[in-house]
Amino acid sequence: MIGIFFRNLVRDLIRQPLRTTLTLSGVVWGTFSVVLLIAFGDSVGKAQIKRFHGMGEGIVLGFPSTTTLPWQGLLKGKPVRVTPETVEAIPDKVPGIEVISPEFVGSRLISYGRKEFRNTVRGVNPGFERMRNTIAETGRFINPEDMAGRKRVCMIGDILAQDLFDRRDVVGETIFIDKVPFTVVGVMRKKLQSSNYNGQRDELCAFIPWTTFAALYGYKYVSNFIFRPLDLGRSKAVTEDVKKHLAKLIGFNPADPDAISTWDIMDFEKQFTTFFMAFTVFLGVIGSFTLLVGGVGVASIMRVVVDERTREIGIKLAVGARRRTILWQFFSESLMIMLLGGLIGFGLSAGVLQAAKAVPAGSFSDFVGVPVLNPLVIVSTVLILLVIGVVAGIIPARTAASTDPIAALRK
Amino acid sequence: MIELQGIKKIYRMGSQSLEALRGVSLKIGKGEFISIMGPSGSGKSTLMNIIGCLDTPTSGEYVLDGDKVAGLSFDQLAAVRNRKIGFVFQNFNLLPYATAWENVELPLLFDGKSARKRKERVTELLNAVGLYDWRAHRPSELSGGQQQRIALARALANDPPILLADEPTGNLDSKSGEEIMDVLTMLWKEGRTIVMVTHNDHVSARSQRIIRLFDGLII
Repeated sequence: MIGIFFRNLVRDLIRQPLRTTLTLSGVVWGTFSVVLLIAFGDSVGKAQIKRFHGMGEGIVLGFPSTTTLPWQGLLKGKPVRVTPETVEAIPDKVPGIEVISPEFVGSRLISYGRKEFRNTVRGVNPGFERMRNTIAETGRFINPEDMAGRKRVCMIGDILAQDLFDRRDVVGETIFIDKVPFTVVGVMRKKLQSSNYNGQRDELCAFIPWTTFAALYGYKYVSNFIFRPLDLGRSKAVTEDVKKHLAKLIGFNPADPDAISTWDIMDFEKQFTTFFMAFTVFLGVIGSFTLLVGGVGVASIMRVVVDERTREIGIKLAVGARRRTILWQFFSESLMIMLLGGLIGFGLSAGVLQAAKAVPAGSFSDFVGVPVLNPLVIVSTVLILLVIGVVAGIIPARTAASTDPIAALRK
Repeated sequence: MIELQGIKKIYRMGSQSLEALRGVSLKIGKGEFISIMGPSGSGKSTLMNIIGCLDTPTSGEYVLDGDKVAGLSFDQLAAVRNRKIGFVFQNFNLLPYATAWENVELPLLFDGKSARKRKERVTELLNAVGLYDWRAHRPSELSGGQQQRIALARALANDPPILLADEPTGNLDSKSGEEIMDVLTMLWKEGRTIVMVTHNDHVSARSQRIIRLFDGLII
């Protein structure tokens, strides 16, 4: 059965190489575009999310600010001050917090030998490391012992290490922060970071225990604090609870929106993810149009094929073929051309993506990421290919199936 | 077997209409061998197409083997053509890219017969028309007579009670034509109903009854 039906197609494809090439090239190019555009959109999105995660994952930042509503006889415009001890005590009063850290931020002179830079110093607690992805590559982050002893130890950013020492294996070295000696206990692992707040990016910072920071510089109130909710889905509710708790403790209107301004990374990430999803869909749609043009090519060529084979259709109808048999024959022929073109297109794009992997990592790949043939790309391309293939196949197939057997036999 | 009552067929082309059949009534009994004759444009082919369920009449009644044909859907008509009617055409109408074997197999495929049954039946038919050794050849590699024998084998594939032959010898030399007529006569003697359109008096002389059409009417 298959033999009789498809031999004709194969013969047509072989006997008319130019027509075959032109028809297939539309589908090949369309598939190629869809795969590359979706893969590209997907990888750009992922690269951006990765860069975004450089600042931290699943965290909420709180910035004590000034009140904007009067409260219990106090005028508005009163600065809100939060001590690090208050911050660290929040999880005892507000449930649902996995980890929290106060943060002091200051710009300080950091020197080693004759090299001196004015960089950001952050006074934090050990919980900071996990929340903000400031992971030690060599050595360690500051630990509870450092906190308790107000030790003069620091972990420094990878670029800061490079700037000071021209190398990265500097654990155990001593640097000076504002003329005070600090022992380097760790160097941060290189990371991509697209967002930031208060001061320089982490690669240029020195991280010290907040207890040391407070003791050395006499700071009483934190610049900001960071926490991660146990249940990331409840970050909004937990944030509200934290605000209410602080309002009661410090004395400001719990309804004041700006007394503690917050930055919920998850909120931001959601928008970010949605944006890049839309971006990928947009690219996919553009690619689909290219593939649609290929599909139109297949449909019109199949119209010609149906016309050329009218007599064959007439004979088949005369000896008892049903309309749907004819419909199915031409429909599956179109679909086969689409799938053949799709297969070649997939092959080509896989080759190009493989070649793209060979591009050395750098700022380009940091930004664009590495486009790959992942399930998302494959599934969406196959779906688009099928939808267009079905539409491109059904039109000529219907023409074929509606052939009048008498007119066809007379031809 | 075949009963036509007041069959009219009107072709409309834009504002013009052409009456190809103007009320044809005809009864063909089971096992009859009749010839339909008439000049070009007399409606022979139209009548043949209606009898063969390739076309439906504009008005009138057609009962085939006890079943009313009017009102059947296209696919139901296809099934009727497949099982009850075998076609033999003047120009053979074989699929050019398919082998003799595949051409004969075609009606069996459309009837959904199993591969084993198809193989048995095609072997039997090709042997009957004496072309089993030519089974792997394409029509272009066969003579006209051989092609018509393949077409006959195909027409008989589903063992239909009726054979419709449209100028079966029109494209053949006299010797091949005689051979085909011998086969048709033999098939009639075996009990099949045969309806044949022809211009050739010599050929029509083989049939039991001759129906003459003129200008869409039986005369």
